[in-house]
Amino acid sequence: MTVLGCKQLDVHIGSIDVATKLSMELAPGEFWGLLGPNGIGKTTLLKCLAGLLNPVSGQVFLESRDINELPRKLVARHVGMLQQYTVYVFDSSVIQTALTGRHPHLAYWEREGPDDLQKARDALKAVELDAFSGRSVTGLSGGEARRLAFAALLVQDPEIMLLDEPTNHLDLRHQVQIMGMIRERIRRGGFAAIAALHDINLAARYCSHILMLLGNGDWIAGHREDMLNEVNLEKLYGCPVEMIQGKHGARFHPAEV
Amino acid sequence: MMPTAHRRLLFFFLVILSAASIIVAAAAGSVSLDWDQWTNALLHPASEFGELVWRLRIPRATAAWTVGALLSLSGCLMQVLLRNPLADPYILGVSGGASFATLLGMTVGVSASLLPPLAWAGALVSILIVFSLARGEGPWSRTRLLLTGVVTASGWAALISLLLTLSPDGSLRGMLFWLIGDLSYSQLPSWAFATLIFIFLICLGMARSLNVLAMGETTARLLGEPTRKVLWLVYLLASILTATAVSIAGNIGFVGLIVPHLMRLIVGSDHRILLPSAALFGGFFLVFSDTLARTLLAPRQLPVGVVTALIGVPLFLLLLNRAKVKQ
Repeated sequence: MTVLGCKQLDVHIGSIDVATKLSMELAPGEFWGLLGPNGIGKTTLLKCLAGLLNPVSGQVFLESRDINELPRKLVARHVGMLQQYTVYVFDSSVIQTALTGRHPHLAYWEREGPDDLQKARDALKAVELDAFSGRSVTGLSGGEARRLAFAALLVQDPEIMLLDEPTNHLDLRHQVQIMGMIRERIRRGGFAAIAALHDINLAARYCSHILMLLGNGDWIAGHREDMLNEVNLEKLYGCPVEMIQGKHGARFHPAEV
Repeated sequence: MMPTAHRRLLFFFLVILSAASIIVAAAAGSVSLDWDQWTNALLHPASEFGELVWRLRIPRATAAWTVGALLSLSGCLMQVLLRNPLADPYILGVSGGASFATLLGMTVGVSASLLPPLAWAGALVSILIVFSLARGEGPWSRTRLLLTGVVTASGWAALISLLLTLSPDGSLRGMLFWLIGDLSYSQLPSWAFATLIFIFLICLGMARSLNVLAMGETTARLLGEPTRKVLWLVYLLASILTATAVSIAGNIGFVGLIVPHLMRLIVGSDHRILLPSAALFGGFFLVFSDTLARTLLAPRQLPVGVVTALIGVPLFLLLLNRAKVKQ
């Protein structure tokens, strides 16, 4: 079981402080929600955790080793990231794009085998794109492209998933479906994920832990129950929030003033 | 995904096409040979027609094939490198350096056999200028590479114009032919063919990486590619391919842009299929164009670059239009 985490991490975008002295761990079995207003640096933090950006100071570690010193291929077998946007410049088929998830698992000259193909088919089925496998990626709708990107991540099958707004462009049913799939993976054991989200209620329903980026490098983190309350959320978004006790726990919506 | 059977059929077809084009090229020309003359010529290299076929036409056809394959392969790589389907082998100034060096050689009057190495040296200078200026610190920057390359290319273009204005009228025709791309004096140097095969095998080995790189740098890194290193490797390989092609045949246009594009429309974007198809088809296409260049206005010869453009442009527009309709 692999653990991704950071120690004393300082992340900046230009002169903006995203997080100061951030220390956390994505332990197996944990599903983190990353909350914060627009432009606060959620994507930058996720990229930093993925080893795509060098932190100003501090360290991102994968299994106690600095992620920036590990070969990318090794990292890619354990850590996968769903990016906020996917732009396809060159045409390709849906199944071929899903198969790219196998890339880090294959050697230089190796071709995808029947197992890899089966994994890709299963992933497409899981996101209900199995009927699309021969279709061109350039003809997909926003939501379909999103589900394809998620399918490619499932095919990559990393223990740690970093998800940048995974529910963007998705209709209600597919939002719940994808969040449910991530939670299932985590519950089966050995897996962890962190998802940047704007929907507090998805976070309330699926996440076990919450990290809030408050601005100026300030952050707070902890168990969902301790984190999601009116006080924290009002402070986070600068907007009055009202909590409603639903059948399955607390839900939040912007309060009428 | 293309089924294996289709893939084999496609490669078989493309190999036959290439072979056929070389056979036709050896028979056709200002003196065209019928079947008996042709087979005779093949069997008796010392005969009159044998000399023609073995000393002139076959070397020229194989040179054309190799240049076509080099340019098409380079075009495929440049398109991934710049993540732009409009990129061609000449976009980053490699051919500019080669052209300037060659034209300078022609002006000073060095012997024709020295021109290819000179072209290669000019290309190498250009590759090194772009490489060292665009590299810089920090992550891979496509914009920086593109700008450095394009500006370097314009610099070379200015120097070439200067040379053309200063050169005596007598050498202008030769220079113009070279700039348009011409195979009249081309022989196939074995090192050029070896370069093609060697780089082709490397590229085929990294074809899956190219697929991933075509999806963008971030996606490629997330899927395990050390993008900075790999993209510089792609730049160097594409540049060497271009330099080799240009040093043999000058600036033949359109092959390196149209063939990769055309093959993408036909076989899709999986580089494991695209690279061999583009190389084979590019080879065929240039042999075919060169045969036309020799025969259309025979005994006059056209620079092959004119023919590639004249065939390539309508063909390309037609295919593009059909692809749009299909979607």
